Amino acid sequence: MPRITTRAGHRLISLGLYAFFILFFLWPIYRVVDRGFTTRSGHFTFQYVELIFTDPQLLRGLVNAIVIAAAVTALCMLLAMPLAILSVRYEFRGRGLLSGLMLAPLVLPPFVGAIGIRLILGRLGPLSVLLGYGHGAGFDWLGRFRAAGIILVETLHLYPLILLNIQAALANIDPTMEQAAANLGAHRWAVFRRITLPLIRPGIFAGCTLTLIWSFTELGTPLIFGFQTITPVQIFEQLTDVADNPLPFALVVVTLAVATALYLTGKVLLGRSYDTAVTKASIAQSPQRLRGLRAAAAAVPFILVLLLALLPHVSVILTSISATGQWYRSILPKSFTAAHYLSALTDELAMPSIANSALYASLATVLGLIVGLGVGIVAARSQLIDRGLIDALSMLPLAVPGLVLAFGYLAVSVSLQQKFGERLPVWLNVQEMPVFFLVIAYAARRLPYIVRPIVAGLQQTPIDLELAAANLGASRLTVLRRITIPLILANIIAGALLAFAFAMLEVSDSIILAQKAAYFPITRAIWELFQRLGDGVYIASALGVWAMLLLTFTLLAANALLGRKMGAVFRI
Amino acid sequence: MNRMRRYGFIIAFAVLLIAPLAAHALHGAWHPAPVVESGARLVIITPHEQDIRNEFRWAFADWHKRKYGQAIEVEYLTPGGTNDIRRELNLKYRAIREAHGGHLPPEDQIDLGIDLVWGGGDYYFNSQLKPLGILHPLDLDPKFLAEVFPQPTLAGVKLYDQDKDRFGNPLAPRWVGICLASFGIVYNPDLYRALNLRAPRTWSDLADPRLFRNLSLADPTHSGTAATTYMVIIQRAMADSENDFFNLPQNHGKTAAELKSTSPYQAALDAGWKKGMRQLLLIAANARYFSDSSPEIPNDVAGGDAAAGIAIDFYGRVTEQIVGPDRERFIVPTAATAITPDPIAILYGVHGKQLVLAEHFIEFLLSPEGQRLWILKPGQLGGPRNRSLRRSPIRQSVYADRAGWADDVDYFASARGFNQRAEWMRTLSELPSIWAAAWIDDSDDLQDVYARILSIPDENRRSQLLADLSDIPVTRPDVLKQVAQRKRIEGDPTQDPNIWKARQRLAWSRRFAEHYHQVAQETVGR
Repeated sequence: MPRITTRAGHRLISLGLYAFFILFFLWPIYRVVDRGFTTRSGHFTFQYVELIFTDPQLLRGLVNAIVIAAAVTALCMLLAMPLAILSVRYEFRGRGLLSGLMLAPLVLPPFVGAIGIRLILGRLGPLSVLLGYGHGAGFDWLGRFRAAGIILVETLHLYPLILLNIQAALANIDPTMEQAAANLGAHRWAVFRRITLPLIRPGIFAGCTLTLIWSFTELGTPLIFGFQTITPVQIFEQLTDVADNPLPFALVVVTLAVATALYLTGKVLLGRSYDTAVTKASIAQSPQRLRGLRAAAAAVPFILVLLLALLPHVSVILTSISATGQWYRSILPKSFTAAHYLSALTDELAMPSIANSALYASLATVLGLIVGLGVGIVAARSQLIDRGLIDALSMLPLAVPGLVLAFGYLAVSVSLQQKFGERLPVWLNVQEMPVFFLVIAYAARRLPYIVRPIVAGLQQTPIDLELAAANLGASRLTVLRRITIPLILANIIAGALLAFAFAMLEVSDSIILAQKAAYFPITRAIWELFQRLGDGVYIASALGVWAMLLLTFTLLAANALLGRKMGAVFRI
Repeated sequence: MNRMRRYGFIIAFAVLLIAPLAAHALHGAWHPAPVVESGARLVIITPHEQDIRNEFRWAFADWHKRKYGQAIEVEYLTPGGTNDIRRELNLKYRAIREAHGGHLPPEDQIDLGIDLVWGGGDYYFNSQLKPLGILHPLDLDPKFLAEVFPQPTLAGVKLYDQDKDRFGNPLAPRWVGICLASFGIVYNPDLYRALNLRAPRTWSDLADPRLFRNLSLADPTHSGTAATTYMVIIQRAMADSENDFFNLPQNHGKTAAELKSTSPYQAALDAGWKKGMRQLLLIAANARYFSDSSPEIPNDVAGGDAAAGIAIDFYGRVTEQIVGPDRERFIVPTAATAITPDPIAILYGVHGKQLVLAEHFIEFLLSPEGQRLWILKPGQLGGPRNRSLRRSPIRQSVYADRAGWADDVDYFASARGFNQRAEWMRTLSELPSIWAAAWIDDSDDLQDVYARILSIPDENRRSQLLADLSDIPVTRPDVLKQVAQRKRIEGDPTQDPNIWKARQRLAWSRRFAEHYHQVAQETVGR
């Protein structure tokens, strides 16, 4: 069999990726947003985009979204960097547990978390009571501190994105580089600034862009705070308007353009060119052992962040065991019950939805890994002229509202039905069997979480190791299997974990695409329970807690099974 | 140690997976799906919640087996809320039209895969679904209709679709109401005491400045029922104004018909309309937020995050029962509430035996048995298996016997004394976007000027400024002009109504922002 050249191989991969992006990303989005560019008579128009730029409310919304995203990213960075260094470079009592718990925000189902935050910050909620506002009319935290509240809540939710990526990046550094610098007399701060920071830049870029784009397009948190003048809320409000309105689709395209601009700005500031590292850690760095007071001091920042980051979890857990309506003007619920768990777990939707979610999320993670590895190789290893384009395309799903993408898949499925009628295989008919499209949707939407760490890992790994293996006669697949993947395994695991967790907790795709009860994933089941009259919040919290535990133990069990391989990321 | 921990995690994982199975086994509340021999299947797209879907699925299967001797399975499609349903149906029919040269083919050539669309309110069916041309004309026996609806309207609101052709002959209805819903006031008595307020009785009580940032209101652009409720406040003011006009000394002895053709009469109506709008602005200025989620408002009021709000009747009642009357009460303002039907319709293209089954489902929903299911307590004969659905039946005759009902309500009795009038409703098509521009788009400006006014110590000056604030820059003739303009634009193929609507809302938002700024200037002046 003639061997194809490296360049041809990369081109082949890139063509496959283009096919994936066009079929499962650009086409569905086009099917939806074209309405924002079409007049009633079917002609192309820019009038809606023009309208956006003449509307002071929408412009203010864009500015607010950008400012809040920048603030959240900066705060997450300030929070995650010291934590990452402490957890990777030092060994102290409780480090494993603490750094594992740091990832807790990842297992909180989105709108269940919202229930928790609303309760804590309620006018007569525990915070008010604790601070002495529990009498009279209480204190309106959500209404008074809107922007600051949004930034705080998003920071405490998103810092793990940066934390995980920096941890993986730190694990990839060759410790001899820093040792050499120190030997040459560099001060610790100089070593960090001149050696460590540049070496982990790919990881910082990965984490920061994910956080930046996520917080720029975040819908749930501003909705909780009732903050209307911010682009994602404005899109959502217009999409759900009773009147059929094409304006939000034009707004989606503007959002995409701004998100791309933000991403490119980040790339100029942090990503620079795809220079790959020249050395790879051949020995793992042994963490420095801390004892006594210094160990305690190292644990303090973890505990402080945890106290805040775990508040929504604690609140949801308390809600799930509070007797209905019994958490009012008090720090803790006045009476407790287990009845909500019984209602949640015996609900006809609970059991099948777990199995469905596990199936969809696993398949989506596998698919995401395959595509993500492809993007990584093209972006960080090829010389293709369009590698930057492929990299950027893989990031776009982050910036598209879930509602729009999900509806795009529905539109694609319906147009296929009309074209092929009875001949259409049932798995392409969303209404009858949504599994295929759900997996695609989860994979496409969570692709950035896999791509970023993989690209970062490849950039930190010298290409010489792969070239050496190829020189010794290994086939390209063997190089990938035996050299590349093991070298960036920490990054792959970090990405897969994020992708799996977020796929398990995906909301908007699940609501629009899984229309029949038999195919409901767990988030959809929680949403159904939430709609129940009167006690919906409590029962949804119970199933939410249970989903949270399940996800936690999935991650822990995966850790136990993968053993030391995962240690590079988790260090549990 | 490590090994133990590893197995510990795996075991915990397995236990969590099995927990629901164990819970089922111990508390067997599982209703296995009936085995359907004939393969008869009905597909319904609906925003209704799980309890409603299940209870009607079970009850209909029983009823159908008894009455028609055939087993049937109902399958629901639940793509989210009413907007998602409209979008999905629009998508499907657009694809069908594209495949047939831009037109809908005869019904027997369509294979849609969905038979019925159920729930969302009459406003949604009338303004969103019917114009798409996707509802099948219902073939209902006039005798049956008269039996279910002895009066075809309730307080001026049509209980089923009653369009006429251009000669005035009634057309086959495209939808029929299945149950009734209305908006009322929920309030938190505990917070009311803390704010030193007396319990609300009318909508205008919600305009009290002490409720500033303490009201949960429904977004009129997201809920047709909420928009109709706000419209009722305006109609109430118009009715009062009309009444005052009739009672003027110079009008004594003249008939209503005579007076109605005069221009002072129109001026009186304009003044009433404006009074209602002013009242609404002061209510909106108190809003903490405008919600589009129905359970959110009563939950927030019960939790103390808002002192009062506007809520759908059954949500208000259920919350009151669950948290107790000291934490939440629900009231319906007398003679000023919109009672609206919640419809069902067969989709265009349903034919053959699917059509027969769909008609059976509607027959069941309107039967006394199907009607009582909405409100009976669980455990009652013909009642729900799990929980009471607590909605109000639409068939008037079932109200005669209310034994075993979860709520003792009768809208047919309480609606007397106030009628919505079609000719007064004409401004409603434009009002939601004007309200949204004034209350939501400009909410920062509105709250800012309102807070400034409330901080002024001099009471006279404060009430003068409040009067200035509520003297909003819009009149009924303005809005009627816009109604006419919309009709013209919708009929003109060279115009784009969507762009026109967006520009219109922008213009209103600017006009109101200017008004708020002017009043804000007044607060610093003098």
